[in-house]
Amino acid sequence: MAMGGGGNRAVPYINVTPLIDVLLVLLIIFMVVTPARPSRFKADIPTQRDPNEDVSNLKPNPLTLVVSISTDLQVKLNQEQMGSVNDPSALAAKLQQTFQQRKEQHAYKVGMETATNIPEDQRIEKTVFVKAPRALKYGDVVKVIDAIKGAGASPVGLQVDDLP
Amino acid sequence: MGMQGGADHLQSEINVTPMVDIMLVLLIIFMVVTPFLQQGITVAIPRDLRNPDEDQAINKESSVIISVPKDNEYYMGKKKVNVEDLKAAVEKALANKKEEDKIVYIKSGIDVSYGEVVKVINAVREKGVDKIGLVADKKKGKAAAAPAG
Repeated sequence: MAMGGGGNRAVPYINVTPLIDVLLVLLIIFMVVTPARPSRFKADIPTQRDPNEDVSNLKPNPLTLVVSISTDLQVKLNQEQMGSVNDPSALAAKLQQTFQQRKEQHAYKVGMETATNIPEDQRIEKTVFVKAPRALKYGDVVKVIDAIKGAGASPVGLQVDDLP
Repeated sequence: MGMQGGADHLQSEINVTPMVDIMLVLLIIFMVVTPFLQQGITVAIPRDLRNPDEDQAINKESSVIISVPKDNEYYMGKKKVNVEDLKAAVEKALANKKEEDKIVYIKSGIDVSYGEVVKVINAVREKGVDKIGLVADKKKGKAAAAPAG
């Protein structure tokens, strides 16, 4: 091949293959990292209420599920104690069980009883409200929302009035 | 120099130099662009959660993102605002949006107290917003088997 020139000459040739290897790997790393897919929890918040509106004849929905968190990080579902923020598995299990029960009993959302064009799963009342004190860390609230979402709740509502 | 072999030999070596050039340029472009791609400011959002839904709209230029990196510090996009101005800013940003697109994303740090988030919520709900998106980072890898719904 006569590539190396004479035996008494140094070879003036850089081996670029490892360089390309490193560059390709770096490039792939950057390409993968760049489109960090953003995600979010959708939560419903109450719209501004008309202060003159008469709410005395509004009936509370018996299917309402309220998850409340206390300042000592204990979680309650309605009035029942359900573990803590760091271990919300009991809460998730209970919610899942509740939704399953509702499915069997056909407990639909208000106004969805006859909407047969919508999939059964979306008609079941799965609304969960989250109530947390203002002093709590946001991260802890999100952890609980994650668990609630994981149990299949939708929509998730945040209570923002009358918080401790 | 005797590099090419004899005149009657075909050159059987790939010339990688242009490829390296392109790779380097791409690499540099990505390195430079990456920090700018991030919208708004850096917030320690909740990480490694199992069940948030992906939403590409968060990256859109037109979406309304309120960041709360620390207590009493609010940013709308990249601009620092205080609570009073937040309402006006949100109203302006949502002015020519369709009713169903009226969603405000809240990027709050994990150590921010929930009361700060509630303050932001109270501000935006005055402007007719009833949906918010709590921006959170999804755990990499396969999603947890969440039941449909």
